[in-house]
Amino acid sequence: MQDAIDALRGRGLSRIESAATADELEAARIDLLGRKGEVTALLRGLKDVPADERPAAGAALNRLKLELTDAFAARERDLRGAGEAVTGLDLTLPGAAPVPLGTAHPLLTVLEEICDIFYGLGYDRGDGPEVELDYYNFTALNFPDDHPARDIQDTFFLSDKTLLRTQTSPVQVRVMEQVTPPLAYVFPGRVYRNENADASHSSEFFQIEGLCVDREISLVDLRQTVDAFVERFFGAGFETRFRPHFFPFTEPSVEVDMQCVKCGGKGCGVCGQTGWLEIMGAGMVHPRVFAAAGYDEDAYTGFAFGMGIDRIAMLKYGVDDIRLLYENDLRFLNQFRGVL
Amino acid sequence: MKISLDWLADLVSWDDTPEVLASRLTAAGLNVEAIETYEQSWPGVVVARVVECGPHPDADRLSLCKVDTGDGEPTQVVCGAPNVRQGLHVLFATVGTVLPGDFKIKKAKIRGVESRGMICSASELGLGEDSDGIIELEDAPAVGTPADELFGHRDTVLDIEVTPNRPDWLSHLGVAREVAAIYGTKLTPPPVIKPPANPGHGWKVEIEDYAACPRYTAHGASGVQVGPSPRWMQNRLLAIGQRPINNVVDITNYVLMELGQPLHAFDGERLASDTITVRRAGRKLSVTTLDDEARPILADDLVIADGDGPIALAGVMGLANSEVTESTTTLLIESAFFDPGLVRRCSRRLNLVSESSYRFEREADWDMVLVAARRALYLLQEHAAAVISGDAVDRSDPDRRPRPDLPLRVHQVNRVLGTDLDLERASDYLRALSLTVQPLSPQVEAKTVNLMVGVPAFRRDLLAEVDLIEEIARVHGFEFDGRSGRQASHHAPVHTREDEVRTLLRRWLPAVGCHEIVTSTFMGRAQLDALGLAELDPRQQCLSVLNPHHGGETLLRTSMVPALVDVARRNLNAGAPAPVRLFELGRVFWPEGDKRQGKHELEHLLPEEPRLLMIGIAGVTARGLGGVPADLVELTGLVDEMAKLLRSELRCVPGDVEPYLVAGLQWEIRDARDRRVGTVGRLGQAAAEAFDLDEPLGLLELDLGRADLTPAPVTYSAFSRFPAVKRDLSLLVPAEVTYEAVSGCVRESGGNLLESLELFDHYTGKGVPDGVAAHGIRLKFRSAKGSLEGATVDRAIEQILVALSEKLGVRARTS
Repeated sequence: MQDAIDALRGRGLSRIESAATADELEAARIDLLGRKGEVTALLRGLKDVPADERPAAGAALNRLKLELTDAFAARERDLRGAGEAVTGLDLTLPGAAPVPLGTAHPLLTVLEEICDIFYGLGYDRGDGPEVELDYYNFTALNFPDDHPARDIQDTFFLSDKTLLRTQTSPVQVRVMEQVTPPLAYVFPGRVYRNENADASHSSEFFQIEGLCVDREISLVDLRQTVDAFVERFFGAGFETRFRPHFFPFTEPSVEVDMQCVKCGGKGCGVCGQTGWLEIMGAGMVHPRVFAAAGYDEDAYTGFAFGMGIDRIAMLKYGVDDIRLLYENDLRFLNQFRGVL
Repeated sequence: MKISLDWLADLVSWDDTPEVLASRLTAAGLNVEAIETYEQSWPGVVVARVVECGPHPDADRLSLCKVDTGDGEPTQVVCGAPNVRQGLHVLFATVGTVLPGDFKIKKAKIRGVESRGMICSASELGLGEDSDGIIELEDAPAVGTPADELFGHRDTVLDIEVTPNRPDWLSHLGVAREVAAIYGTKLTPPPVIKPPANPGHGWKVEIEDYAACPRYTAHGASGVQVGPSPRWMQNRLLAIGQRPINNVVDITNYVLMELGQPLHAFDGERLASDTITVRRAGRKLSVTTLDDEARPILADDLVIADGDGPIALAGVMGLANSEVTESTTTLLIESAFFDPGLVRRCSRRLNLVSESSYRFEREADWDMVLVAARRALYLLQEHAAAVISGDAVDRSDPDRRPRPDLPLRVHQVNRVLGTDLDLERASDYLRALSLTVQPLSPQVEAKTVNLMVGVPAFRRDLLAEVDLIEEIARVHGFEFDGRSGRQASHHAPVHTREDEVRTLLRRWLPAVGCHEIVTSTFMGRAQLDALGLAELDPRQQCLSVLNPHHGGETLLRTSMVPALVDVARRNLNAGAPAPVRLFELGRVFWPEGDKRQGKHELEHLLPEEPRLLMIGIAGVTARGLGGVPADLVELTGLVDEMAKLLRSELRCVPGDVEPYLVAGLQWEIRDARDRRVGTVGRLGQAAAEAFDLDEPLGLLELDLGRADLTPAPVTYSAFSRFPAVKRDLSLLVPAEVTYEAVSGCVRESGGNLLESLELFDHYTGKGVPDGVAAHGIRLKFRSAKGSLEGATVDRAIEQILVALSEKLGVRARTS
């Protein structure tokens, strides 16, 4: 039986291949697969095959039938398509879209990406003015007048009461003035420092601030939030650490380090051989800030954090000079096609 | 703050490498930014004896010497020092030595005589300021001894970032306290004098204003011999970046760096009275400070004065009139406590930040005032032959209250930190930091005060319970599993329309070829002037920065046009292929705009900060339909597409608005309420020249805040499934008739079966009479009730043509 099948396969395929017209092909189909065709004849002969060989023979026959059907369909396409086939065109010539693809700015894309992560954690987005009152930028955040804490941030003053905000933190108080806890917010935006520009400093840059207030928020919530963010943004496996620090509007205050994104903690040029990168400042909201916002100091606890988006973007994309982010050179921007 | 480990080791012990010490300090909040090595070493410099010394044959001021360095033949060397003479023991730099400042000693001919090396002065070795003559070594050290054996010094220096709340860390003793707490070792305070039994020393002190100066102490010393300070002290000062001057000045500096308390030494003989007064200046006057600068001071500034007038600016700097000199023998040593705000205001106004003012404005340590002065007297006795005749005059505010103890609720500690500490642990942590702890209630529960905590004077930062909580966290560390208090959030974030619009635009504009840019908020006056705005245009009113940094622009932008033009120009100049399509979503600042509403009474001082969308297409010279520049066709088309994207009404209406756009080639963008919310147009030549832009630039500006971008609701409505009938019309339109008029007339007269019309061609020239344009218009008719008969459509076309002809004089073109 197997020999008969093999023989029919050879004969059938070559006959299909050599059919030059649709009529010849149809004749071949009737001879091979028709009701009185050769395949049908072999199927009928199955009953004479010994019972133990019959399943294998049946399967082989079925396979032959499908093979021949495919060969007929392929040959049919060839015969029908002959008229439209094209030769002589250089199909390696470049395509042309109506307009070449533009780009979103990587700095703002990172900003939106960070916001998206916090939306997923239930955060709202808030906003405040860039020209800010001294009150919101400093006083309400527990920077006393005539206090050296104000020197941490070199400030551009517009008058004795107004300035360019040095941080996104003033939005904390603006939001708390309007909203009763529980609340969780991010406030991204541009901030200003009166310092000279170099590869890692710009007098204008972007920050994102986070604020979460409820009755029993603890430092552990801050830690879990930071870890969730780092894992989501940079990927799993980076450890974080808290170092005590000082910010007037949080107490305790910490600086948050994560293991270096480049070397994973072994030490390299990016992390100054320490294996750690400082990525944000954070802490528990100072009771005086609650008081400034009109809250009962003892009723709530909360945490706040702030990070520089420029630095995060530079780490993410390996940008080694912050000025590249503000030059808007298309040779730079075009490298971020598809990053939206 | 630079901390010398050599110095620190006098005060405390620890058993770790500098690197481990640094990381443990960092973990405790003293961020070590750098570990530096300080080294005084001069390989190649040795002790030599001048065996011969005579005049140079060809130069009056030079000497020709032979020096013995202990390795055989004496070496011939030319020396220019006035004090060189035979028999001196000197420091000699052999040929090949490299001295500080990369000064290489080579074999040389000086005025025709060979010289093989150099006899060194103190300044040439970086050992001091003296450059007038060579160092004369005392006690005749053996020739050939390396200079390093006599003067070499090696130290490791930690550069520590000290936050403004911790002035106690601005001293070696303060850092030593932290080291002692970390390693559990004992603090060894440096030696001080025993206070002399007899009171006073002849000087009197008066404080006129206790609020400005709550405490002032004066110590006297006589018989002082001013000279160089001991080598070890100089080395320590040099290691932390301080310049040695003389023993008296160095000792006050040394004590400041060691204990953190600023001292000032007056020359007692130069004071005009026995009484010195701490008072306000009383009137404006000019004084000369120790740095020889004339400084204007105001009536309200706090000064130290003798009978003749001010002798020091309190806490900031002494005055030249009472400065210690080489001939000083009597000293008055000031150690005081000044009001931090007063010192800060004076120091900032004079732009004079000294090591003193830096510490006083962070608040002095009350208990260190006397100790520091006694430490200085001890060192003056040892190293400046000072004689201490009587005890200090110590004046302080009689009404000053000791700092109250702070209550601590352990429940609150755990609430804020998420910890589960008991009373015992919390107390232990506080004691480890030299705080005293007095137990009250043992019950750890909400609102119950468990401890009263006594704070030593050096911890000026601990003012409330929350400060103690931070201290507990610092000692406990941050690596623990604790209690989270955040309720699972069932809150789905609310996105404002502003957020939605921004997100839609940022995703769409790149797809139509635009690159997003981020430009500066700052703008120069010249850039604004280039726009040629009318004098009364509100954008002429800019906020400006009072203290711009060097070379920076001062104005806050009122328009984003200049920045976009600049980016376009730079990219084209850098060879970017035209067209360059750019967009920016940014803020401008209009002080004359709508006033902000807010809770604070000063909110009206803030400018309006409208959010604008700018799009620019640079480098397009082609023309589109009807001869309109192709970039403007694209921009007005983008307005139509944007309206669809935002499901809002936005349309372009021809009209001149902006002086910097070409007249007759601009549009207003109007919103659903028919308000002008933006413009489209071509940058005019005057502005282009002012911006130095050679290529054409089409601009779109849209005020996203002002425009009504409320999205139309999305509701399905049934559509006709019957086929449409298309008809093309070729119309001859007189030049004065606009497409808008034609299309309006067609819509009006086309009946309710007319579904859409579209301009597919616009032609003037050959085959069309002068003063007439041929419009090719495609009309689509469709009925909701059934397939349309040709005759029905013919009747509609007929109506349209009659209306066009009667109302606008437009005729169908006959082929």
